[in-house]
Amino acid sequence: MTEVSRRQLLAAGAAAGAAMLGLSACDGGGSDKKGLDLSKNKVGAMDKYGVGDQFKATEPVKFSIMMLSNPGYPYKANWPFFNELTKRTNVSFDPTVIPLSDYNQKRSVMISAGNAPMIIPKTYDPDEDQYIAGGAILAVSDYLDLMPNFKDKIAKWKMEGDLDQIRQADGKFYLLPGLHQDVWKDYSLAVRTDILQKLNIPVPQTWDDVHTMLRAMKAAYPANYPFSDRWSIPAAPGGGANCLLQLLGEAYGVWAGWGYQNAQWDASAGKFAFNGAMDQYKQLLQFVNTLVSEKLLDPESFTQTDDIARQKFANGQSFVICTNAQELVNTYRKDLAKVPGATVVKIPVPMGPVGAAKIGLRIENGVMISSKARDSKNFVAMMQLVDWLWYSDAGQLFARWGIEGQTYTGNVDDSTFKLSPDVKWAGINPNAPKSLQVDYGFYNGVFAYGGSTKLLDTQFNAEELEFQKVMDGRKTLPLAPPKPLTADEREQAALWETGLTDYVDQQTLKFALGQRPFSQWDAYVNELKGKSSQQYIDLINSAYERFKKDHG
Amino acid sequence: MVTVDVREPPARTQQRSRGPRPSRGYRVFQGVNAVILTVVVAVTLYPFINILARSFSNERYIRTGQVNLLPRGFNLTTYRHVMSDSAFWTNYRNTLVYTVVATIISMVLTTCYAYVLSKRHLKGRGFLVGVALFTMFFNGGLIPNYVLVSHLNLRNTLWAVVLPNAISVFNLLVMKSFFENQPVELEEAAAVDGLGTYGILLRIVLPLSKAVIATMILFYAVFFWNSWFSGFLYMDRSDLFPVTVYLRNLIAGATTGSDQTASSDSAIQIAGNIQAVTVVLTVAPIMLVYPFIQRYFVSGVMLGAVKG
Repeated sequence: MTEVSRRQLLAAGAAAGAAMLGLSACDGGGSDKKGLDLSKNKVGAMDKYGVGDQFKATEPVKFSIMMLSNPGYPYKANWPFFNELTKRTNVSFDPTVIPLSDYNQKRSVMISAGNAPMIIPKTYDPDEDQYIAGGAILAVSDYLDLMPNFKDKIAKWKMEGDLDQIRQADGKFYLLPGLHQDVWKDYSLAVRTDILQKLNIPVPQTWDDVHTMLRAMKAAYPANYPFSDRWSIPAAPGGGANCLLQLLGEAYGVWAGWGYQNAQWDASAGKFAFNGAMDQYKQLLQFVNTLVSEKLLDPESFTQTDDIARQKFANGQSFVICTNAQELVNTYRKDLAKVPGATVVKIPVPMGPVGAAKIGLRIENGVMISSKARDSKNFVAMMQLVDWLWYSDAGQLFARWGIEGQTYTGNVDDSTFKLSPDVKWAGINPNAPKSLQVDYGFYNGVFAYGGSTKLLDTQFNAEELEFQKVMDGRKTLPLAPPKPLTADEREQAALWETGLTDYVDQQTLKFALGQRPFSQWDAYVNELKGKSSQQYIDLINSAYERFKKDHG
Repeated sequence: MVTVDVREPPARTQQRSRGPRPSRGYRVFQGVNAVILTVVVAVTLYPFINILARSFSNERYIRTGQVNLLPRGFNLTTYRHVMSDSAFWTNYRNTLVYTVVATIISMVLTTCYAYVLSKRHLKGRGFLVGVALFTMFFNGGLIPNYVLVSHLNLRNTLWAVVLPNAISVFNLLVMKSFFENQPVELEEAAAVDGLGTYGILLRIVLPLSKAVIATMILFYAVFFWNSWFSGFLYMDRSDLFPVTVYLRNLIAGATTGSDQTASSDSAIQIAGNIQAVTVVLTVAPIMLVYPFIQRYFVSGVMLGAVKG
């Protein structure tokens, strides 16, 4: 009769995880013996399947799948997506439909209860970690030979380093992530260009330019804070003004804001260092502190709700705010419509000491395969389908834009691609009668993500394309080397990290707002050591060394 | 507020000349009471009225936080939009069916169990009470429950929602103490007149228990109407979800709107007025039940509480 609370649910999940540990001993032995002999699992599979081939099962097959239902486009069994997929591949799905609101909970329950469907999409690393010990999730890295398109993209786009980020301590990975050809930057600053014109200031290129711009704005409007930011609530991850700090972090070469992580790769020393105690982090905070102390950045940026920040921007109390492509069009432009003459653009991400570079993962959420699927007679066909639908050019185009002549026309490679005029998606063809997502089932987050830069570009309007071009011109920095922890280490690290991250968040705010002078920086670093920052980094470095030795 | 009270007394004493004159302390108490209760009423009602206002408002005003007690940019388009969504009505129908069936089953089981437990001469009564109480403090946990329901092949059926929650121990105990406090003589007299056990229950006890029955129906109905978790956990098809799951998904879709990682699954924000309309349509029916049952509701709870 009692409703189950979140906490109870977590406790139950943990208990189940522990119970699964017991099971794993038996499971592991079984699948090892089976090894990689796939002769009994080839029903429906194509004998010859390679890059560029259209996958089509040799007989009709059905795979069970977890199907996330997005409230923006709730699941419909009769979507043309499913019909067309069956026509092209001979595959139909037996979906377990789960509302987005509680997708992860039900995924955990089903996996722990041994009832998981064969294909488990929409899993964000490191969510897969919790299921590995139980043996319920297949080590997909053992079966990449069944996935020519996946392997091809990894090789072509040189993504081994990205893939290493999701490898476990055993050197395997358990998640088939979405693959992007290049790092995609979406977030930057939205700036009121009419104010820039009025004050005769160019669009800023670097954070120093931003500083100059804000000063000029302040001089012209002394009563206002020219920059009032959002994305501070919910607080975690990050301690406030999370988008701004993340952007600055990338400019200074450290993690900050949304992207905060405690371990930062120090290439010159060849080992990891504690991010929140690094000199670059201090410089970043000094910059933020300057903006605050000169009254250029609204101190409420770190605590206010998005709505308040939006209202300030909409009412002309502030002229700069963080944005992404969608927010720019859907929110700020709409809000500013009532201010005569107001124009706003997303400027290219300002550069800092790191220069014209960008850093980021090129992999994103992906698909887990249930261990039970390995025993299915259709296992090989299933892996081929996953490879075709999620990783081949044709599959990605199909999942994203649908059927040529029906939902789109033209071609991605020569930039003639166009959505059909009677189909709407995001801001494209807003008055069309049918929605690509709601009525057709394409561009569904379960199936459509990743892909080449050209494919990605098809979804941008001219203005955003311009922004992307600037960002494409910047060098992509290499990622930190992998440092996977064992299950025990992960637990220990998590204990340390909770306290450390909280403390860094708190002190970040204090330094930024000037509540703590920078003369106390050394004291702060020592306080972090008191919270085991050194032990934590030692653990990370030992994991790095171990992985290098075993799998390097 | 206080000044009004101070000026009023003469008039009041005239009206109620028979009663003793309320002491000064009591009047102060009443004043404070009125203030506090007014605040409570305002705090409780405000969200309802606000949601109602939003449901009739233009999205633009909601976004900029301009809708409080009255709708701005009045329109019915959102109602038409939500009501034209067949998935909403399918789930709505499910909720109706689940609630009605579950309430009937729960009432039958709880009444029978409570009546039996109220008989002091029953052998093994302590054990039966213990069994019920045990489930109040311990349960198998989420995943064992899921496994159990799966293995009983109850998943994707009405019974997965109905059966695991059929008896609420709290309601059971309230009913038990209600039955215990009915005069034994009535039942003895009925027995002398030739009624058997079932006759006594159906023709004597139940007609005298309308208050508690109405209360229990309300408790159960509200619980099943509002519950979303079993529907979410045990149903694998969206056409079996109760409307609460639909609603929850809608609201979650809005709160995850500015998710930084949502690069591909372009987080679609559900408009505030669509949420409000769905909330209103979901809450309205069960709220309308209250006025009709309230009479029994108050007396039922009082009976259980004071005598038990």
